[in-house]
Amino acid sequence: MSAAPASGAGAAAAPVSDPKSASGSAPGSAGTPQRFPLPDIGVMLPFGAVIAALLVGVMLVAALGVPIKDAIAAFLDGAFGSAYVITESIHRALVFALIGTGFVLADRANLTNVGGEGQIAMGGIASTAICLYGGVSHLPLGLSFILPMLGATLAGMAWGAIAGVLKAKGGTNEVISTLLLSFIGVWLLYWSVQSTALLRRPMTGSATLPESLEIPDATKLPVMFPDSDFALHIGLPLTLVLAIVVAVVLNRTLFGLQLKAVGLNPTAARRAGMPIARNIILALALAGALGGLAGAMMLQGQQTVLKAGFSSGYGYDGLVVGLLARRSITGVIAGALLFGFLRSGGINMEMVAAVPTALVTVIQGLIILTIAGIAFITEKKGRAA
Amino acid sequence: MTGEVLAVFIGSSVRLAAPLFLGAVGELVSERAGVLNMSVEGMMLTGAFAGAVGSWATGNPALGLLIGIAAVMPVALLQAWLSNTLRANQIVTGIGINILVLGATTLAYREIFGARSRTTIPGLEKWSPPFLGDLPVFGEAVFRQTWLLYVALAIIVGVVLVMKYTSIGLAIHAAGSEPRAADKSGLSVTAIRYGAVMFTGFMSALAGCFLSIGDIHTFTEGMTNGVGYLAIVAVIFGNWKILRTLFASLLFGAATALQFQLPALGFDVPNALLIMLPYVLALLAVAGVVGRQTAPAALTQPYSRA
Repeated sequence: MSAAPASGAGAAAAPVSDPKSASGSAPGSAGTPQRFPLPDIGVMLPFGAVIAALLVGVMLVAALGVPIKDAIAAFLDGAFGSAYVITESIHRALVFALIGTGFVLADRANLTNVGGEGQIAMGGIASTAICLYGGVSHLPLGLSFILPMLGATLAGMAWGAIAGVLKAKGGTNEVISTLLLSFIGVWLLYWSVQSTALLRRPMTGSATLPESLEIPDATKLPVMFPDSDFALHIGLPLTLVLAIVVAVVLNRTLFGLQLKAVGLNPTAARRAGMPIARNIILALALAGALGGLAGAMMLQGQQTVLKAGFSSGYGYDGLVVGLLARRSITGVIAGALLFGFLRSGGINMEMVAAVPTALVTVIQGLIILTIAGIAFITEKKGRAA
Repeated sequence: MTGEVLAVFIGSSVRLAAPLFLGAVGELVSERAGVLNMSVEGMMLTGAFAGAVGSWATGNPALGLLIGIAAVMPVALLQAWLSNTLRANQIVTGIGINILVLGATTLAYREIFGARSRTTIPGLEKWSPPFLGDLPVFGEAVFRQTWLLYVALAIIVGVVLVMKYTSIGLAIHAAGSEPRAADKSGLSVTAIRYGAVMFTGFMSALAGCFLSIGDIHTFTEGMTNGVGYLAIVAVIFGNWKILRTLFASLLFGAATALQFQLPALGFDVPNALLIMLPYVLALLAVAGVVGRQTAPAALTQPYSRA
């Protein structure tokens, strides 16, 4: 019996870790060490953590008494089995990518934004309000869906900026303020769909659900390939462009350099004449803006109705993605895809193979703890280099 | 408000505040020593789950309570190890533990009880103090509570005394405000902080058990549902002082109790606003609107002798 989990483990790890096996095999191919140096340990450790966590997941499946082959088949089917699930996974990954990009951006200034959940909620509220009651649905040139997205971005930006102002003016720890703002945002959303004076659909009977009306078709995000089974919406290119813009801004512009200086040594940055307060506020506001936009994409691209629980914990998943990425935008994209497909596979595993999705939650928790726990190894390396 | 309604309101406020102040006082001690445990939520959930399973399996709620406490110890030890030995980011590891525990308890619960179980679990007995318990109306509605609540009050009195009048309290304060000086004077900052996190675990276990086998006599998936975070918020709102933290917990408990009371009294206040209230108050507090906040100087900063 003990052999079965072991062989199953190998089978499970292989397909999921496929994209990474290239870097994993690098140490083995010692032929050209000069041209292909060993990947930095800071890059390899997250992969190791993810694979280790997946192995634990496989062992848990075995412990639950579910045949590992069935569980993996259900997982793969749910993650990659049809055009529909692949599209769903990618759409989910876009949200994680936006939150993760915002996390990395703020992290450059040594600010930890844990407010993604609330920023998504504020974006969702703003987007719904504009889609339904902003009179945008007849506007030409795509303004019907662009304006709600802009509104959501501004709402998220304002939500992030509150934490930035508190930090810059009063030194309030941004972790505490963004976390509190997250709870407040989530409950504001709950309130807005509970109250007919706000966004709740008109009560037509006692069974009317506490949710908004469906947004008009013109405000939904257009699908890129209408003739294909892959109903990917334009959020995909938008997210990629934004991720590239953020990467360029962080690495190639004065603003990026200033954020880094503020993060590394605020005192020195101030002596050098950099506007510390403005940079702190901007960093958190921009992270919030990406969160708000993520909320708009969730609403206008997928859910189309605002209801309680709208943010679905995606803000925390995105935070984990940002953390996993270790300050790299490429890492954010990879992590977002991993979690996007992980969630889809997990959902199908519950439906088909009776393995609770909580298993995916366990795996995520393990990934976070392992990466946070081993951070000191990579940080020591970084200092030595 | 008639006397009876008032009594029920006070009683339910105290009952809703109990897990908050249990968790908050535990967290306060640890934050005083310089360690922030976002994992209070996860520790509570572990306690709630293990307490419920223990009580169900043994048929004895007191034994369940002990099992709940025992089950939280490894979780607290993990947090202490990550925060103090590995010097990992305290916030990130805390959130990680919460996610891990949420997944693990849900998995284990499904495994033991099945997906839609509403098993009633033997709960801790209620107890009324003499005299107070005999008061008309109030005796029954306010003072007749799970005995764990009275034990909790006794523990908290003990914590106040220890923190204020003993060298242990002094050492804890030193570890969180002047760790280097504490180290130089021969105290082990690491040992103090390990102990403080373990104490948070103990108190969070009591809080979790209060939720599952003290209050509603069952376990539901993710049943803490933010109570642990709210306990941390109470510490912030209480400005890292025990009595003010207790007051904050009671205030938050009352705000939650109002959700059930206001509709009964004919007021139509959206309950989302009442649920939100503690977070808004805490935000105002950390923003410096409600007096000056003075967090322990070394809070969230790992200590290294090098």
